[in-house]
Amino acid sequence: MRFLSLGPGEVAALLLLLLLLLFPAAAGAYQIRLATVIFMWAALAGSWNLLAGYAGAVDLGPVVYYGVGAFATAALMLRAHLPFLVSLVLAGGVAMVIAYAVGTPTLRLRGAYFAIGTLALAESAKQLALAWDRLTGIPLTGGSAGVSLPLSAGYLLFYYVMLALASLVTAAALWLGRSKFGYGLRAIGENDRLAEASGVNIHRLKRRVYVGSALLIAWTGGTAGYWLSYINASDFFGAGLTFQMVVMVLLGGLGTPFGPPLGALFLTLAAEILGTRFVYHYLIAIGVLIVAVSLFMPAGLAGVGRLLRSRRAGVQP
Amino acid sequence: MSILEVRALTKSFGSLVALDRVDLKLAEGEILGIIGPNGAGKSTLFNLIAGLERPSAGAVYYRGAAISGLTTDAVCRLGITKTFQIPQLFPRMSVLENVFVAGLYGKGVSLGPARYQAETWLEFVGLADKAAAAAETLSLPERRRLDLARVLATDARVLLLDENMAGLNQREVAASVALLRQVRDRGRSLMVIEHIMRAIADLADRVLVLNYGEKIAEGRPRDVMRDPAVIKAYLGEAYT
Repeated sequence: MRFLSLGPGEVAALLLLLLLLLFPAAAGAYQIRLATVIFMWAALAGSWNLLAGYAGAVDLGPVVYYGVGAFATAALMLRAHLPFLVSLVLAGGVAMVIAYAVGTPTLRLRGAYFAIGTLALAESAKQLALAWDRLTGIPLTGGSAGVSLPLSAGYLLFYYVMLALASLVTAAALWLGRSKFGYGLRAIGENDRLAEASGVNIHRLKRRVYVGSALLIAWTGGTAGYWLSYINASDFFGAGLTFQMVVMVLLGGLGTPFGPPLGALFLTLAAEILGTRFVYHYLIAIGVLIVAVSLFMPAGLAGVGRLLRSRRAGVQP
Repeated sequence: MSILEVRALTKSFGSLVALDRVDLKLAEGEILGIIGPNGAGKSTLFNLIAGLERPSAGAVYYRGAAISGLTTDAVCRLGITKTFQIPQLFPRMSVLENVFVAGLYGKGVSLGPARYQAETWLEFVGLADKAAAAAETLSLPERRRLDLARVLATDARVLLLDENMAGLNQREVAASVALLRQVRDRGRSLMVIEHIMRAIADLADRVLVLNYGEKIAEGRPRDVMRDPAVIKAYLGEAYT
């Protein structure tokens, strides 16, 4: 088994990471902000991919941990006066505890029932967050008015935190591709009954990846909240975020380490470029693009290289 | 001492009693054939032993310890696992990876040894040349052999084989019988559900006959096949 030997994709990813670390020195504020958005989506889509792409569990409620991360980070900064990064780390712990408690029963649901259950959960979480202050008397979410955070330190901090999160998620996916844990998850994703009969404790493995994915999503949510300096429950628990993660993963390549960052890059740039040219109609164009990619590249953008290689191999005698 | 013991095992689905107070013992290194008409409770018996279903009453003992109530994966790691009547696989994994996963989790070894052992088991069942193929491309006889390699890789000591020869031609059945004898020689105890009487007569040390969830006969294959109750319930008059 290979542990430290790196494949060509991994070497390319490390070189890219090195370039991205130096990128702010050469780029303007707009490019840095745009790159930060891409990293944020790469981290979110990548976290969703860990559970759906490897263990085959389609979670339609990841946004719960995005919201929890944002509000917990904000509360720790505003009420406990902790520094941002300390608050962020602690908020991740809160999300993990909630994910453990929520995942234990819900991960026993299979297939479409898990998807429906988690979708309902996310909507409940949003309603709970909207009503929280009124119900409990503990100011946390600010109800429908939301919470404002102090204007932030500067965009470079967010560039590097989001880059770190996207890299961490991608590294986790690469690790799943070659570890015992990853093989167990893939077995569950392909045939959970058979995995169980082969000795895989499917509930424990699924819960572990669910909690890990919740941690990464919560950190991304906490960072996004401070970056935007204003958070409210309708946005941070909104199902739109979930569907954007799903679309990015499917565009990029489900169950692949580089699919989610590719999907995030593609969709964010497409929205940015088309959105400035066709302010009113760009969503139609994006819809057409999504349909085209899913029709002509069913394995996603990450599958294109493989497809071309096999085509080339096919024509050679 | 018997490696597996089943006492008064009962399973009802509503008013239907699928398995009715069945007792059995499996000796270490024994091959026990399970026969009976469709719906007699053979697969239910296997599912109860392997932890896929919970018994309504009665208990299963492995090396003297009660195991009823454990989950399937725990039962597998303890040492009992089953193949499926319709052979199951991880379709998009390679043939090697199918066996490899069973070693990683069923036996609990790390990546290196699991890979080496998976290769050895594929060699043993005659699938070494297919190791890199996607499992979903295998033919039915190959799928049955893969299923066997998988349960062997879990290192379970008791193997429950549910119609592992169904759909095979005569030559393949003979090869399968020879292979299962070798499995026994490697320290496994087997319970085998089978409809092919010649294979059962060749392979099994003892045979247990189920009918409507009840045990109606048990003994050496040749004796059981002469039993009037067995002929009436299952084999049919023409068989004698």
